Amino acid sequence: MAVFTKEGRAYHIQVAPGEIGRYVFLPGDPFRTDLIASFLDDAKLVAHNREHKTWTGYLNGQKVSVTSTGMGCPSTAIAVEELIACGADTFIRIGTAGAVRDPEDYKHYDGVIVTGAVRDEGTTIHYIPAEYPAVADRFVVDVLAKAAAAKGLHYAEGISQSKDSFYGEVAPETSPAQGRLEERWQAWRRGNVMCSEMECAALFIVSSIRKCRASAIMNWGDMNKTIEIACDAVKALMETDNRE
Amino acid sequence: MNNDEMMYHIHLKKGDIGRYVLMPGDPFRTDLIATYFDEPKLIAHNREHKTWIGKLDGVPVAVTSTGMGCPSAAICLEELIKVGADTFIRVGTAGRVCDAAFDTTLDGVINTAAVRDEGTTIHYIPIEYPAIADRHLVDALSRASKKLGYHYAEGITQSKDSFYGQHEPENMPAEHRLKERWEAWRRGNVMTSEMEASALFVISSIRGCRAASIMSFGDMPKTIEVAVEALRTLIREDAEKEV
Repeated sequence: MAVFTKEGRAYHIQVAPGEIGRYVFLPGDPFRTDLIASFLDDAKLVAHNREHKTWTGYLNGQKVSVTSTGMGCPSTAIAVEELIACGADTFIRIGTAGAVRDPEDYKHYDGVIVTGAVRDEGTTIHYIPAEYPAVADRFVVDVLAKAAAAKGLHYAEGISQSKDSFYGEVAPETSPAQGRLEERWQAWRRGNVMCSEMECAALFIVSSIRKCRASAIMNWGDMNKTIEIACDAVKALMETDNRE
Repeated sequence: MNNDEMMYHIHLKKGDIGRYVLMPGDPFRTDLIATYFDEPKLIAHNREHKTWIGKLDGVPVAVTSTGMGCPSAAICLEELIKVGADTFIRVGTAGRVCDAAFDTTLDGVINTAAVRDEGTTIHYIPIEYPAIADRHLVDALSRASKKLGYHYAEGITQSKDSFYGQHEPENMPAEHRLKERWEAWRRGNVMTSEMEASALFVISSIRGCRAASIMSFGDMPKTIEVAVEALRTLIREDAEKEV
């Protein structure tokens, strides 16, 4: 399903089948892949093309990779399609997100584990009409929730708004579409949307359609702890997957 | 509307029911479902909304019919929430959509999310918002199905407004759109097609309630058994959480 170069590498991520594991962490920022790779055993840099930087290492002796999506659903959809074509089937997005609700709603939380996404973006309607739900895999959500709880950390579970315009969110008054932006933001707030970021919708839609598993953990405290939770979650998935 | 009053459509008031409600579409199917409760008692039947109460393991439970389609399902759910319910399992029948759904060993499908192919939930929140089931309810249904030795897959359902648009698209002026979208749902691994889950999931998310849905491919008593077993699990686990 992806375009490959004549050298056999996926066109944008510049990864060849076999160079990555089935489990892939997906930060937005290429430079954050270096930090995440430091949590893997024996991590090696595989490729860095455009905004997609990939490392492959090991957890419990099994191959695990990290690839950056870049910002936004367009580049995320490209990365996920190409990673699937190279053999990946399980994705955990690790990133940062903005608050949607009132500050006191977040007092006790270190971040959010994402169960579904608002498709407030222009990429996934190229895949399937907007009525189709962007939903995370419940088993990936479950291992993340259990890994966080085991560390005594408090991550809320909830829906994320995946938007295309960062400045439309943080400075709607500077946009001619201000009225629409503010009205919709109020609707997400009243719909118990927990966080706002820019990639989950593409990750969930492409994964549902391609029969892959995905969830996301959004951090607003200690990124190192969030990465540790994601690593523990992958180890838990490995145990179940190897049993099956 | 005063929340202490008799609800306009379902004819229930606060205190009539507990927090757990099974929701078939058909009013007459509530009679069958109520036979699985201890001490079943018919307490209301207004329009398409028929309600029985009873007990499971000593805890109050209810069954209320939604009627067909998201418009009446939304009315029913809003009024059930106003009188104190917060946990909903839809029990119904559905058509098959993607190839995996045509597995003849399947007893049915536990729905994890819904395609909002209807006109009700856009009165609540823009279309980009996902219609998703509560993962703990889905898990309780899945465990109940395994415990009973039945075979229910998990997957997305299409919630449509037009039954005959699905079954006889060639009779519709909108034939092309219907067929094109059906093909998209099929290729998007949508497992089932029915008419109420979308309203149930969107409204439950917005109101902070829990909802899931189990669809039968034929044997309704098996499906009810799974839903009742899942309710017993939830009742037990909710009680443990409160301790």
